[in-house]
Amino acid sequence: MTLAPEVTDVQAIVEQVWSSFLGEEEPLLPRLAEPGQFAADEAWSAAVSISGGWDATVTVELSAPVALSLTRTMLGLDDIDDAEDGDVADAVGELVNMVGGNVKSLMPGPSVLSLPAVAAGRAAHPSGAAEIARFDGIWAGEPVRVAVHAIPQP
Amino acid sequence: MIIDDSRAMRSILRRIVAGLHFETLEAGNGQEALDLFEAGEVPDLCLVDWNMPVMDGYTFITQVRANRDWRCVIKMTATTESEQGQIVKALAAGAHEYVIKPFTPDAIVEKLELLGLVPQEDVA
Amino acid sequence: MTISSSSFNLIAALVRRETAMVYETGKEYLVEARLTPLATAAGCPDVDSYVARVSTDLVERRKALDALTINETSWFRDQTPYQAFTDSILPRLLESRAATRRLRIWSAACSSGQEAYSIAMLLDQHLPPGWTAEILATDVSTAMLERVRTGRYSQVEMNRGLPATTLVRYFTRASTEWEVSPELRRTVRTQHLNLADAYAFTSVGTYDVVLLRNVLIYFDQATKYDILRRMRPHVAPDGFLLLGSSETTLDMPADVAALWSREQLGRVQAHRPAVAVPLASSTRIGA
Repeated sequence: MTLAPEVTDVQAIVEQVWSSFLGEEEPLLPRLAEPGQFAADEAWSAAVSISGGWDATVTVELSAPVALSLTRTMLGLDDIDDAEDGDVADAVGELVNMVGGNVKSLMPGPSVLSLPAVAAGRAAHPSGAAEIARFDGIWAGEPVRVAVHAIPQP
Repeated sequence: MIIDDSRAMRSILRRIVAGLHFETLEAGNGQEALDLFEAGEVPDLCLVDWNMPVMDGYTFITQVRANRDWRCVIKMTATTESEQGQIVKALAAGAHEYVIKPFTPDAIVEKLELLGLVPQEDVA
Repeated sequence: MTISSSSFNLIAALVRRETAMVYETGKEYLVEARLTPLATAAGCPDVDSYVARVSTDLVERRKALDALTINETSWFRDQTPYQAFTDSILPRLLESRAATRRLRIWSAACSSGQEAYSIAMLLDQHLPPGWTAEILATDVSTAMLERVRTGRYSQVEMNRGLPATTLVRYFTRASTEWEVSPELRRTVRTQHLNLADAYAFTSVGTYDVVLLRNVLIYFDQATKYDILRRMRPHVAPDGFLLLGSSETTLDMPADVAALWSREQLGRVQAHRPAVAVPLASSTRIGA
């Protein structure tokens, strides 16, 4: 039985991270979504792993428009068109770092947080990993997903 | 001096602090920051991340406090580490203040006011 | 979800009627942001249909009113009033209340309780042994009062204005939040109170310090003056009324201004009950 964070806690974390950095522009709202493939034509994703007292992977998936808005806000870019892959990777990486770090502090420790890994595309998880928590949200009409996966304990 | 391995976080903090008319320096980890100190670039305030490669925030703060010439540097930690024990540990190591990520720009400004680094009339 | 102007006017009127709080044009985005989560939870397709529902559904109406009367706040907000409390007000009260060794403080628009607990922390640090203090925290929002009782605050709220050493001294982690220590929570009593209600203060006694900070701005002028009139008997004759940093009684009508004198305490202007003297037609009384 793998220990999992409460979905309400994951939601609270994501909402706090969101509102701190994307300000009062638009709230991030929860939405009902089926598990399975993240629904966006173009997406960015990032993952961070937690290991030690508790082992899990936290992933973030954003549709491309969200990733670009996030990048513009975090890096203070005047024009979204100026954003290069490296910029988006830095911004999305920091997002998953903050969410992952806060999830880590909810769970038994001591644990360490890995460096984030970012990809231009939706997240894929190894077949052996089970989803233990997920928050689906919508921001300015675009989908956002945060998920926690772990290898089930025998 | 903003010490964080995340470029996005350095960018966010730089803009907040520049808005308060501070000059900023940046370093990607504790060792880079110490190198800058050694080179004579000793700031009034350090914003220090906890988890960094090469030298982490805890080690950096401990080293700065141990050096008599650098004792008056004010150190504020900004990190996702939000367990009580971590905060106590940081304060014991010599951090003057502690900010938990995520933070709003207002939070940073208010912490700087608490540290006496920002005259209140300057803040909108 | 964009709110229509008729819905906005409807909800603004409701809020004003129930709480005397004013949402001016230009604040539509704020109303939308605060009502959208409730609309979604209630299954309404948009805020306009939710506003229609609020007109008939009392439960939703209560929720909407609670959501719309949320104030932003932080710990030791503006700092200087708390500095004045510690440096000027408390020493004077320790002298003048030496017989009873009891202090009564009222946080009159307490919101989520950060003001009340900030005072509680200062009292814990500065009140000598043998002294007791009661803090009354009132608000028009039942949801807010519940928050005060629970004493839990998000990480984001904990970042604001609270020295880290104070944080670890009075709070412990509770899942994603931080909870005030039971000792501190015991010193704060909550009560539902609508400042705009003409009879509200009949249930309230007299206090040594009243904090009425950053709430008068939400009322129309007539209500504002009325609150300041009705407040006067509830502040001890040698007590203190603290308004928000940018608030003043300077532009009040003569009868209200006559009730309060102003005293500078450090960087803060405190209001003291003025000595009651019959008012001649054009004479201004007070310091």
